[in-house]
Amino acid sequence: MEEIIRNKEYRLYILGDVMLSPQSSSMTIPQHIVVERDACVDMVLLVLPGVNCDLKLDVRLAGEGAEANIYGAYVCGGEEKVNISVDMHHDFPHCNSRQLFKGIAGGTSRVDFYGKIIVAQDAQRTEAYQENHNILLSDGAKVDTKPQLEIYADDVKCSHGATIGRLNEEEQFYMRSRGITLEDAKVLQMISFIAPVLEQLSEADREAVACKIEDSIREIVKREMSQI
Amino acid sequence: MSKDKEILDSIADKEYEHGFVTNVEQEFIPKGLNEDIIRLISAKKEEPEWMLEFRLKAFRRWQQMELPRWAHLDIPEIDFQDIIYYAAPKKAEDRPKEIDPELEKTFDKLGIPLHERAALAGVAVDAVFDSVSVTTTFRSALAEKGIIFCSFSEAVKEHPELVQKYLASVVPVGDNFYAALNSAVFSDGSFVYIPKGVRCPMELSSYFRINAAGTGQFERTLIVADEGSYVSYMEGCTAPMRDENQLHAAVVEIIVEKDAEVKYSTVQNWYPGDKEGRGGIYNFVTKRGICKGAGSHLSWTQVETGSAITWKYPSTILKGDNSSSEFYSVAVTNNYQQADTGTKMIHIGKNTRSRIVSKGISAGRSQNSYRGLVKMLPGADNARNFSQCDSLLIGDKCGAHTFPYIENANKTAVVEHEATTSKISEDQLFYCNQRGIGPEEAVGLIVNGYAREVLSKLPMEFAVEAQKLLQVSLEGSVG
Repeated sequence: MEEIIRNKEYRLYILGDVMLSPQSSSMTIPQHIVVERDACVDMVLLVLPGVNCDLKLDVRLAGEGAEANIYGAYVCGGEEKVNISVDMHHDFPHCNSRQLFKGIAGGTSRVDFYGKIIVAQDAQRTEAYQENHNILLSDGAKVDTKPQLEIYADDVKCSHGATIGRLNEEEQFYMRSRGITLEDAKVLQMISFIAPVLEQLSEADREAVACKIEDSIREIVKREMSQI
Repeated sequence: MSKDKEILDSIADKEYEHGFVTNVEQEFIPKGLNEDIIRLISAKKEEPEWMLEFRLKAFRRWQQMELPRWAHLDIPEIDFQDIIYYAAPKKAEDRPKEIDPELEKTFDKLGIPLHERAALAGVAVDAVFDSVSVTTTFRSALAEKGIIFCSFSEAVKEHPELVQKYLASVVPVGDNFYAALNSAVFSDGSFVYIPKGVRCPMELSSYFRINAAGTGQFERTLIVADEGSYVSYMEGCTAPMRDENQLHAAVVEIIVEKDAEVKYSTVQNWYPGDKEGRGGIYNFVTKRGICKGAGSHLSWTQVETGSAITWKYPSTILKGDNSSSEFYSVAVTNNYQQADTGTKMIHIGKNTRSRIVSKGISAGRSQNSYRGLVKMLPGADNARNFSQCDSLLIGDKCGAHTFPYIENANKTAVVEHEATTSKISEDQLFYCNQRGIGPEEAVGLIVNGYAREVLSKLPMEFAVEAQKLLQVSLEGSVG
């Protein structure tokens, strides 16, 4: 499926809860997105617990001044297999792209992230950034990430960053010494970890979606804690 | 500053300063590769039966293997039957210890101290010319401490128990296509053994030079650092200018035992081909070390400026608890050079740490890729990695790519990776220009500053050479 963006557009896709999906979101995510000259797309992708998915996204900035911002979050607490792959093609000069993917992996879930920025030789003055951050909650979970840069133009600013880490224990200690339970502390940490993605949601969507994410994070923390 | 200028001026009209050919009488074996050739190489080197068996086993594995094609490289078809697998300078049978004066001149030209005057430089050298090790200096001084530093062929004869114990223990014969090829036909290389608790008093160094036409070089280096020992090892390489491509497929294995430390530095300056991309060395190298014991440390530093095509990933297996490893790299490509280089850090033990700093510089029409793997296995509790990969683009026809692979299966392990790609900022250039520094010099200055973090890790003897090399490699890439 291909979608062509001609103006400034906002898209929200939530995998895992049909009820929650607001009118503005459709359940089928386009595989190819073409952003035309001076157009801009803001896209938020959320993967809730219990969802296995294999997302392949191919974004093409097909005209000068095109812009694409893609934000994603995934929360996995069970046996999920989440596979996300993004190809970001910069074919024209003066295009910008930004990607931010954040995820939490617990249980025996398996996350694979692959993101590639391809800047063609004529695409001067490109700015392209990509970030992928992950938190591992359990010994059974596994995260692989492959951020890639393929750059053929010289007047560019491109970067990517990727981390796989754990919840900071000093922060937990700080909160517990102020009377917050370990469970609440962990939930707070994870919410603040995901928050930069949630901030990109439109005003109308934010409240309901943030609540849903908080609930699912709380559930995962409960489950992880009961196993210790 | 004026000295830098001198260096620049003196090399301005030269493309590749080590491109001369030495006329010494060479002994060749016929072209091609089959079991008879391997038997012939083995016989020439008067090897024991087990070594021949090892080679034949590797050759049989190699025949069933396919060329690796996953790298971001455009490699022309290589005819493995069109290569001479063994070439050696002829020596007078009765005076094997004497170095041919021509050869000595060659190494003199390259600035490699072969005689004891090297004492001043404090470097012990093993020089490999085409397929054989020509001479190893300082051997007796090192032997007093129990250190073995000799050519690989001598090690096979004199220390077979050590060679048999460690050979192919880090890079198995069937590891990859070029490692298998090397295992079958390798001709010489260096062998280093540092006994328990010994701190090697000087830098050890080997120098590789391809001289004969139509040959390939296949050397093998094995470094064993026993418990609590320390060694710093340097490697340098050059080759003559030729229109044909020559193959260099080496294997380096490093074993670091408990609390030992090995520092391995490379300045790779094989002939990179001319401005139109004709000729040059194909540098397909497998380098791997294992931090076997607890608290061991392995550090890789490489400056890659030569070769038409580079395919090289010095890696570390962090097996011992609390072991650590570092990888510092500067890779420069110009004209039509291609490089796909990086590292692998495989964390097995608890509290293992690794750090990767890679600086890529591409100019002309070259393609420069960083490819690296960081893998945290389930047992790697509290393991930590940090990777930083920067690319600098000079000119609008070149490419810079970053392909990291990050895998984490331990919740207490932390992996961080960041990469940036940009060009030399106009502001920096303008700043230099308005202070009277010409564009070319300014680029040299900025590039050296950019690579400083890596260059500062090189042993002193190499750091000077590497800095000059950076400047030469980028000659003519501005404007």
